[in-house]
Amino acid sequence: MKSIVTVIVFLLTCLAAAAQEVTLTVDAPESAIAGERFRIIYTVNSTDGQFTPPKFDPAFTLQGPQQSTSRNVQWINGDVKSVVSVTLIYYAVVSEPGTYVIPEARFETKKLTVSSPERQIVITAGGQAPAAGQQQGQGQARSAGDAPAAGSEASMRLLFSDREVYAGEPITVTLKLYTRINLSGIQELKYPDFKGFLREDIETPPLRSLESETIDGVQYGTGVVQRFVLYPQIAGEIRIEPVEMTVLVQERTGTRDPFFDDPFFDSFFSSVSTVPRKISTQPVTVRVRPLPTPRPVDFHGAVGSFALESSISGSEAKLNDAITLTLTLKGTGNLNLAGEPVINFPQGIEKYDPKVTVRSSGTSSGSKTFEYLLIPRNPGTFEIPPVSYTVFDPQQEKYVTLRTEGYTVSVSGTPGAEDGEAPVYIPGEDMKYLGQDIRYIRNGSVRLSTISAPLVTKLHYWLWFALALFITAVVLLLRREQMKRSADIVGQKNRRAAKNARKRLAKATALLKSGRNEQVNAEVARSLWGYLGDKLRIPPSEITRDKCYSALRARNTGEELITELDRILTATEYSQYAPVSEGESPAALCKRADSLIGKLDDVLD
Amino acid sequence: MRRTIFIIIIFMTGILSLAAQTPEERYAEAGELYGSGDYSGAAAMYRQLFEEGFRNADLFYNAGNAFFKSGDNASAILFYERAKLLSPADEDIDYNLQIARSRLTDRFETVPQLFFVRWLDFVSLLSSTNTWAVLALVMFIAALLLAVIFLTKSRAHGRLLSFWLSLASFLLALLMISLAVRNNALVNHNPKAVITCSIVTGRSAPGETGNELFVLHSGTTVTVEQELGAFREVRLPDGNKGWVRSDCMEKL
Repeated sequence: MKSIVTVIVFLLTCLAAAAQEVTLTVDAPESAIAGERFRIIYTVNSTDGQFTPPKFDPAFTLQGPQQSTSRNVQWINGDVKSVVSVTLIYYAVVSEPGTYVIPEARFETKKLTVSSPERQIVITAGGQAPAAGQQQGQGQARSAGDAPAAGSEASMRLLFSDREVYAGEPITVTLKLYTRINLSGIQELKYPDFKGFLREDIETPPLRSLESETIDGVQYGTGVVQRFVLYPQIAGEIRIEPVEMTVLVQERTGTRDPFFDDPFFDSFFSSVSTVPRKISTQPVTVRVRPLPTPRPVDFHGAVGSFALESSISGSEAKLNDAITLTLTLKGTGNLNLAGEPVINFPQGIEKYDPKVTVRSSGTSSGSKTFEYLLIPRNPGTFEIPPVSYTVFDPQQEKYVTLRTEGYTVSVSGTPGAEDGEAPVYIPGEDMKYLGQDIRYIRNGSVRLSTISAPLVTKLHYWLWFALALFITAVVLLLRREQMKRSADIVGQKNRRAAKNARKRLAKATALLKSGRNEQVNAEVARSLWGYLGDKLRIPPSEITRDKCYSALRARNTGEELITELDRILTATEYSQYAPVSEGESPAALCKRADSLIGKLDDVLD
Repeated sequence: MRRTIFIIIIFMTGILSLAAQTPEERYAEAGELYGSGDYSGAAAMYRQLFEEGFRNADLFYNAGNAFFKSGDNASAILFYERAKLLSPADEDIDYNLQIARSRLTDRFETVPQLFFVRWLDFVSLLSSTNTWAVLALVMFIAALLLAVIFLTKSRAHGRLLSFWLSLASFLLALLMISLAVRNNALVNHNPKAVITCSIVTGRSAPGETGNELFVLHSGTTVTVEQELGAFREVRLPDGNKGWVRSDCMEKL
């Protein structure tokens, strides 16, 4: 069993050895200074083959190759791993500045030929005055003022993405270190307070190694110390104070060997001490232009080029179930300072403050998400209005309004009933007043008229009162006269009642002789009725027996007189309709009537 | 120069259109201007109608609204107060007046009127002066008629009724006459005025030499007590008095 495993391991090892590839690599600097020595190093991981050096340009003065072989044998769990590496070092000096190509080198084994990649090398005129137009950048916009001070051994620069911006427009700033001497580290970095700006650091990897960069023909070791974004807050020419940094400089204290100008050898032949040195950037002025006015109502401070997207978690919802409306602002600009959009959610939907998330990719570009949690509190169909959000685009130099679509949300459910649970008491909602304004004008038809002096100030109005009084007085006077006169007539009648009655009786007595009894009786009746009417003040049209009796009783007339009156009246009426005389003679009736009138007159007067 | 000509043309067309339109049409047009948002234009038209002597609660109410919307709070209050005199029970006028007053600078602890004066004023404003006057005359004539009936009627209980009715009518007639007089005083000779200057000083004497007593801001309603030259003595809502320039206020 164990032997089988050993065989398998052995076979695998052989396979691995056969599969190992032969590689040839070249290591040469990208740039070098004319007249100074530099190294070109070839490394190959095999010994059984023939190395063919490249055909170097005639300008190259070569030394070498210096060959060294290293073998590395590893035993891991009984597995032998052998790595061979052959290094060939050429020392080259080029006196003429220019761009040269190191052609490919080849390594031939029995089976195959590998070649190293072609390399380009820029030879610069070192130490001389920088030639105009020879500036080499790395894509960073910069002006002449940013260039490191000539002759300074270590300096810093602030590289601005833009030096003329609108308020709020982000500027990416790179703090870069340029050095021609050896630095062992950064001790202290002091930023100014960036008055008028909001600074936001971009995550920058710590500076470990310097890159070689040639500016105006001078080679520098460069490195990015820190990158950050500045958001201008106020408009105007704003001066940015220098950034100060203390670097640790390695200084040789011993003698300097002119032949072995190599840090590695230096450390052997001279002693090096670390000295702190302060370096600082040049003050920089940034022109910040104010945003054009008037600012749109729905502008909330976002400056940059953005796009607005919106989404909703669902167009149908149950009562009291949350809906999420998400607005995403994407693009480049001052995302952190972009305010939240104003959305007029319909009444009946409870809105919570949005959850704001900013995702940025290290610089000022990224996205900002506003998540609105909405809870419908009433069933029905609600319109969530489209959102309009205005941003200022510094590229187009104008305000751009971003719009999203509106949504319709239908909410189902009955208020108060919560999914078959015990009904929950929901207290009545107070009326919500959204604002206060005056009530609208009246547009109904009106009759417009001017008013002259009011009646109370006019004499003729008051004369009407006088006239009314006067007429009343006249009416009353006339009425009184008439009453007086009519009162006279009644009195006369009253006084003359007995006399008139007697006259009639006398007439009746005169008729007796003619023998017309009916007429006599009628005359007697007439005399009695006349007397009663005058005396009791009853008009002839209204007179009846009962009325007379009650009037007489009201005047305390004796009951025997009333009986007597009744008998006489009955007798006269009876004799009128019964022509044959029965009972009393007309003459006796006359006498009785006469005596009755006399008695009544005594009582009634 | 071009602007001047433009203004003149507008002015001329304005005059021409004024000449061509009935007041009712102009009232409707001002309403349309208000609806389209031209508040100051509407306010100017309403004010023109007022200055031509037209008196109508709705007209004044609309004028107040137009002035309020165009930002002239003092004129708005002036016209609401005028509208209130013609229509004291109108709830809309009260509401808008209250909103306009809520934006005033000056705030006072108002001294309340005696309740019966307040009631009398309110009742007197329910009808116009002339309505009260005519009603009073009718009541007086009714009282006289009832008196005649009382004096001539002979039947006992009818006489008593007519006596009391006559007395009541006579008292009513007296009340209505006093209401008519009060209404006339309130509507046509109202002592109240609204401050129109944005800020004006009240002094202890007429003229610019008196001691400064208080400072009034536009929109405050004051009561004019007397007038002397270019100055008026006004009573503030809190009862204080002082002399204020006449051109800084407009009477109701």
